[in-house]
Amino acid sequence: MNSSYQLRNIKVHHGQQCVLDIPELSLPKNKCIALLGNNGAGKSTLLDLLAFITKPDQGQISLQGQTAQFPLSRKQRQMIGYVSQHPFLLTGSVADNIALALHLQGINRKQHQKRLKQALELVNLSHLAQQSARTLSGGELKRAAIARAVAYQPDILLLDEPFSHLDQSHSQQLEDIIQQFSSQAGMTVIFSTHDRLKGRALADSTINLVSGKTTKSPLLNLFHGTLHDHVFDTGHLQIHTTSQLKTARHIAIDPSEIIISTEELHSSMQNHFMGRMTLIAEESGTIRLTIDCGERFHAIISPKSLSDLNLTIGGTIWLSFKSTAVSVF
Amino acid sequence: MGYFSDSLAAAFQLIISFDKDIYQIVITSVSISFIAALIAASLAIPAGIYMAMNQFAGKQIIQHLLNSLMAMPTVVIGLLLYGLFSRLGPLGHLDLLYTPTAIIIAEAILIFPIMMNLAIVAVTSADQRLVPTLISLGAKPIALSIQVAKHTRFAILAAIITGFGRAIGEVGAAMMLGGNIEGFTRTMTTAIALQTSKGEFETGLALGLLLLLIAFIVNFMLSWLQRSYS
Repeated sequence: MNSSYQLRNIKVHHGQQCVLDIPELSLPKNKCIALLGNNGAGKSTLLDLLAFITKPDQGQISLQGQTAQFPLSRKQRQMIGYVSQHPFLLTGSVADNIALALHLQGINRKQHQKRLKQALELVNLSHLAQQSARTLSGGELKRAAIARAVAYQPDILLLDEPFSHLDQSHSQQLEDIIQQFSSQAGMTVIFSTHDRLKGRALADSTINLVSGKTTKSPLLNLFHGTLHDHVFDTGHLQIHTTSQLKTARHIAIDPSEIIISTEELHSSMQNHFMGRMTLIAEESGTIRLTIDCGERFHAIISPKSLSDLNLTIGGTIWLSFKSTAVSVF
Repeated sequence: MGYFSDSLAAAFQLIISFDKDIYQIVITSVSISFIAALIAASLAIPAGIYMAMNQFAGKQIIQHLLNSLMAMPTVVIGLLLYGLFSRLGPLGHLDLLYTPTAIIIAEAILIFPIMMNLAIVAVTSADQRLVPTLISLGAKPIALSIQVAKHTRFAILAAIITGFGRAIGEVGAAMMLGGNIEGFTRTMTTAIALQTSKGEFETGLALGLLLLLIAFIVNFMLSWLQRSYS
């Protein structure tokens, strides 16, 4: 039993539209996992399923090796702590909210004070224990909701877009909390974010969602369009692929597979585009470039290449990549 | 004008002199409506919360039925219950006709759909995150309903007060089922109708003023609750 969740043949519909379609997915135990994807990709829908707040229209979900049925047993419910994108705190103080969670989870009243203290310390919110939940700032509210979710000591913590609407300092605090929680033995953290770079930086592994489907592609250089005869048309560019699929709606190109040059390369690579440099940023010892070729591409190069190529913002450059570097789905 | 102003002065005199007969009627009326409101609330509020929080077959039909019942004339309820409670009716052996109990039953039936509908509105207009949050925190169905009721308590209390206000102003069913018996089933509304028809306008006016005062207090409480809720 090495997975916290096993999903099989999951389908969720909103009206006629299928918003989540996952034939098979296993989420490992004791890991920090990021769900990556754009708005509307199905991240919140998937997290709602993992939190057993909503039922899938079809399919099965196993929790820690056991098939879970609605409603969850108390023991199973205690395994999951869930913080939604816009957490809702009930009337009363922060401590009242945590006490309610402990009460609903059936935690022995004698342990309430100790658990309350531990949870508030974890999120660095002890000084606001008696403050009315209505008067908390956005960052405090998120931390209070996390304290409420971890107070009953779940094995799995689910966080939906934890960094949205937070300033840099609150975001940093939250990153520390996630890392602290996920470093504890036996803890699984699953969080969703549309910030792919942050997700990849924080998590041990990532799950990419596009239009309700999981994909192994890194979701950087993700484009939408139509596929015809191995050529994917984004509306602005025609990108050569080696895909055998007859129809596809999305492609993604690994940024490390993109070759940057100041002149057009004459090589076997089928994709060559001229563009304008719009961003040069350092990230964990590498250089991230954003190039506008009609579509916006991200490429990763070394600091040496940056100085060799003498790249400047606004400058004209060429990017090239093989058709095999294009993931089609 | 003299007739009306003289009657008004006499009515005020009856009120401030704490006329025993007048206040006996007020007490009867308030207690009947209060009990009816409590009985209706004990059934309508849980039913409303359940209906708002669950999807089931026939929910739409029940909703339409509730809306229709809210507009049902009180005299029709009085007529139906009269048929049930009269000596020859199926419940005639219970000897309920012309008793406060009969009025309480009629008023409870009358205000049940109002309270249930308002309870449904109270829950459905609560924050959409409330129920998912409580489920994620481990609330089982009964605990979930209790917490939802607790969170929407002001709106639910407003539903009860609205029901009470509707009950105390009811006249048709109270007249048909209570019989307007002095000191027993004579309520404010039935007494107003009787005294006015007897030509004792000042007594009717005194009761009318007290009924208005109760309506004012009820409305004041409602707006206070609505302010607290928002």
